[in-house]
Amino acid sequence: MSEPTRILLTGGGTAGHVNPALAIGRALAGEGTRFLFVGVRGRAEAKVVPREGMPIRFVRASGYPGKRPSLELARFLANLSVGVVKACVILLTFRPDVIVGTGGFASAPVMVAAAMLRRLRLSHARIFVHEQNAAPGKLNQLVGRLADRVFVTFPETLGSFPTNGIVSGYPLRRRIATVGRDEARAQLDFEVPPGRQVVFAFGGSQGARTINRAIVDALGDLLPLRDRLFIIHGTGLFRRGYYHAARDTEERLESRYTEAERREIASFYVSRPFFYQIEHVYALSDLVVARGGAGSLYELASLQLPAIIIPKANLPGDHQVMNARAMARCGGGTVIYEEATLVDGRIVEQVDGRRLARTIEGLLADPVRLAQMGRCSQAFTERDGLAIIERCIRSTEVATPPASPLDECLGEAAVAPAAVEALPSNQALLTRLERASAQHGASYRPNMVVAWADDRAYFISRAASLLVSRDWERRNLGVKLVGLLHARDKTPLLLALLNDRRPAPLVKRLFGGDYVQVGFIRRNIMTALGRLGEVSPEIEAALLAALEDPYFEVRAEAARTAALLADRLSDRSGMVAGLRRLLPDRWLEVAAAAAHALGKVGQAHDALPALLALRDARFWRLRAAALEGLLALVERGEGGDPAALVGPLNRFVLTSTDFTPEFQIKRLYGRVLDAIAAREGGDR
Amino acid sequence: MIYLLGALIHSRAGVLGLLRLSEYLTVRAIGAALTAIILTLVITPRFIRYLHRRGLVDQLRDTGVPSAFDKAGTPVMGGTVMVGCIVIATLLWCNLASRYVLTVLVALLWFGAIGLVDDVAKWRARSGNRGMTEAMKLLLQGTFAAGLVLLLVSPWTPLPARDAMTLYVPFVKTAIAHSLVVYLPLVFVFVMLVGNSVNITDGLDGLAIVPSVFVIGVLGFFAYIMGNAIWAKYLFYPLLPGAGELIVFCAAFAGAGIGFLWYNAYPAQIFMGDAGSLAIGGCVATISVLLKQEALFLILGGLFVVEAVSSQVQDKIGIKWLGRRIFYRAPFHHQMQHTGLAETKVVIRLWIISGILALAALATVKLR
Repeated sequence: MSEPTRILLTGGGTAGHVNPALAIGRALAGEGTRFLFVGVRGRAEAKVVPREGMPIRFVRASGYPGKRPSLELARFLANLSVGVVKACVILLTFRPDVIVGTGGFASAPVMVAAAMLRRLRLSHARIFVHEQNAAPGKLNQLVGRLADRVFVTFPETLGSFPTNGIVSGYPLRRRIATVGRDEARAQLDFEVPPGRQVVFAFGGSQGARTINRAIVDALGDLLPLRDRLFIIHGTGLFRRGYYHAARDTEERLESRYTEAERREIASFYVSRPFFYQIEHVYALSDLVVARGGAGSLYELASLQLPAIIIPKANLPGDHQVMNARAMARCGGGTVIYEEATLVDGRIVEQVDGRRLARTIEGLLADPVRLAQMGRCSQAFTERDGLAIIERCIRSTEVATPPASPLDECLGEAAVAPAAVEALPSNQALLTRLERASAQHGASYRPNMVVAWADDRAYFISRAASLLVSRDWERRNLGVKLVGLLHARDKTPLLLALLNDRRPAPLVKRLFGGDYVQVGFIRRNIMTALGRLGEVSPEIEAALLAALEDPYFEVRAEAARTAALLADRLSDRSGMVAGLRRLLPDRWLEVAAAAAHALGKVGQAHDALPALLALRDARFWRLRAAALEGLLALVERGEGGDPAALVGPLNRFVLTSTDFTPEFQIKRLYGRVLDAIAAREGGDR
Repeated sequence: MIYLLGALIHSRAGVLGLLRLSEYLTVRAIGAALTAIILTLVITPRFIRYLHRRGLVDQLRDTGVPSAFDKAGTPVMGGTVMVGCIVIATLLWCNLASRYVLTVLVALLWFGAIGLVDDVAKWRARSGNRGMTEAMKLLLQGTFAAGLVLLLVSPWTPLPARDAMTLYVPFVKTAIAHSLVVYLPLVFVFVMLVGNSVNITDGLDGLAIVPSVFVIGVLGFFAYIMGNAIWAKYLFYPLLPGAGELIVFCAAFAGAGIGFLWYNAYPAQIFMGDAGSLAIGGCVATISVLLKQEALFLILGGLFVVEAVSSQVQDKIGIKWLGRRIFYRAPFHHQMQHTGLAETKVVIRLWIISGILALAALATVKLR
């Protein structure tokens, strides 16, 4: 073992990347070790690093805006090139032995420069990367390939770094010490009455709107527990434009509760924007409500604190959800997902306060379970991340990547990657569900694809959260997923979207757009209603309205859905009238769908004449659809007098402009294959 | 080659009167057409067998067309034979000193190569939907379009200097614009649009090739009259000395097209693929630019224009931006199929329409 004497740390942009870097740095500190931190001016590292007494130098960098050509991309590239040049200068003057990067855009210039210099043999520094999240960031993915070692928090991430990855867990700052209860109580600037169970809710240093609002909403339901319970709420420091964490919490309290209620609430609730010595709050807490960031979960687990985790959905790779579920799986926490729900006719994404209150109540009422959860949560941090990282960096042999990095320099800490499959993205999920739906037709059920109920619950929550997106393509994706996942409790959201008749911007209307909820969304809502298979007065009203939609595909799809739900409609005659109005529609597809649906919904007296009148329609597809409708009528016993039907049917025009060709050779080929298959089956 | 041979022998000896014929454009045009037809007729079946043996067959895209019966397994890249035969016939019968012919040959090979690479990439991907990325294709085509634009203003331009930057429209005898800033961007956009339009049209058996032959035939006619001092003067066209040589190329092209149709007619034994459709598009666009008939192409190649525009409007404006379909289906031939027309009927109706458009374009010769 040789002591690395010059260590360069980089990582930042947000505190989530700075803290692991500092933790690793502190672990490597020895006598004569010289450190240098490289970051971006004005970001988290500029504040935190000097406080640690570590020298810091700055380079230029900005976040990667995506590969679409844009002004931001040009700025990113310009910043990166300037940053790389400066980082080269820093590297050549500091001449580090070890470079540790923890991701975030601030580390990009240094890592690129380090890789370049090493290629040119101008630097002998060994390069290490730590990836905190289950889904690696873009930069780490790139640099990780060139690094000597990539430390990852989650086994799932090993797939991205097959040759040099190592599961190390999250390098926790050792600063979070266990403090005695009495000591903690004395240190706080508010009084926590003794004998109460303490719940600590916080969404990280910046705060999380969902948690803040949910806690405020839950207070009312927790009022009966006010003598046994004390809630400490960290609202967070976030204040920018649309959201000011502390003020928003204050306002919500005032708008939801009367003055008398607020006085009572004050007896068991206290909120602060930020706790500078969070360890004191931790020391008092019996239960924590938190987001699913890797850092905070590891922190909680190391303190054996049971948690209610509200992960942020729709992040890259769903890493918060993965973290939260990993914690739930080992028994250390319960997960509540954000749900899109209808509040006063508007779709809002939130955690229901009542549900949160019930969960808190249930957990606190069961001290045995709480204690067990605390013990279990420690299993989440089975590895001492820092020790592994420290040992790897100190060991000199890593310069040549070993064949099996997992057993190397780890000894007993080596852990085979668990076979945890990453959650599919919404788009990938849609593809799988659609394929299954096409394959199984009417017998399709979502659990053919999503076997685990917990997965389905999260997917539904994730899909519903898309419904509030500003981007219509994402809303549209959400609509399709809600239908395919058979999320029946989300039907009101679909109907709310359908009834949202705000007009599209003028430019779009000039080109043929109509409403903010674009044609595809309305069409797919119709499809989803058919898949959900529910009938209620609201749904029937929506179907009737959709039969008169300005966009042709919505009308056609509404007719198809009406046909699917035909048996259970209460207002058949209304539907038949609506369908008959569609028969002369300008769009062939609409008229054909209506004719077909008439056969399923209608009766001898209203549908039959209308369908027979289509006997000489110009397009054969419309005539064919009318025949399909007639077939359905006859089969349902609604064909009236069979003898009287043959006469009019005789006059049906049967010439057609289309036909289905048959390639005889292909048919023969198929028969040969069938015969072979039959033989094989017989032999077995 | 035959042109040079004829000229050489004729000037030296003054005998061998038959070879003197090779100076006549019409003779060489007929020779080129016959050469191309015979070559394609002979080579294509062998090529088809070769493609089958190598397993170079397509997987048809899922376009949701109701009559999409199982036609998968037909080889693509038939365009390669066409391009090859056109090049051979051109080398044999054209005066290769002509800058017009050289420019068009470059267009043919450049676009044909893009298409061939794309076809092979698609075949490698085995899904039929992936190939070269659209951005890459557009970049390569844009390189050619930019090159053509630069050529027009360079000293090596095939056009006479006074006509290098003029824009003519049908029914008007004089140029309506003579300006660098107006003309050059137009040429660029034109080459990009037309270059891809044949590709978009090429969706049904024989649909792309017959209208292409009509278009190329009319363009050949224009090349003849604009390169001929008497005709140009009589019909008030700007004289483009040497442009007549293009009729030989056009004839070779038409011949190869007909030879290809022999095998591509419904039900097709071979598809032209991007290797054919891009090559045709690139050629047609380049010839139109060289003959100052960009505006006329809107009539002459109206079918291609409608197909390309309807497909782009549906996809870019409708589906991607507005979130709805603007047309029932696009491109136009899918719309026809979707209303219940058999493939054969769609193809023949569109042939008729493109024939009418070609005649209308011819009529503009006198209506000026």
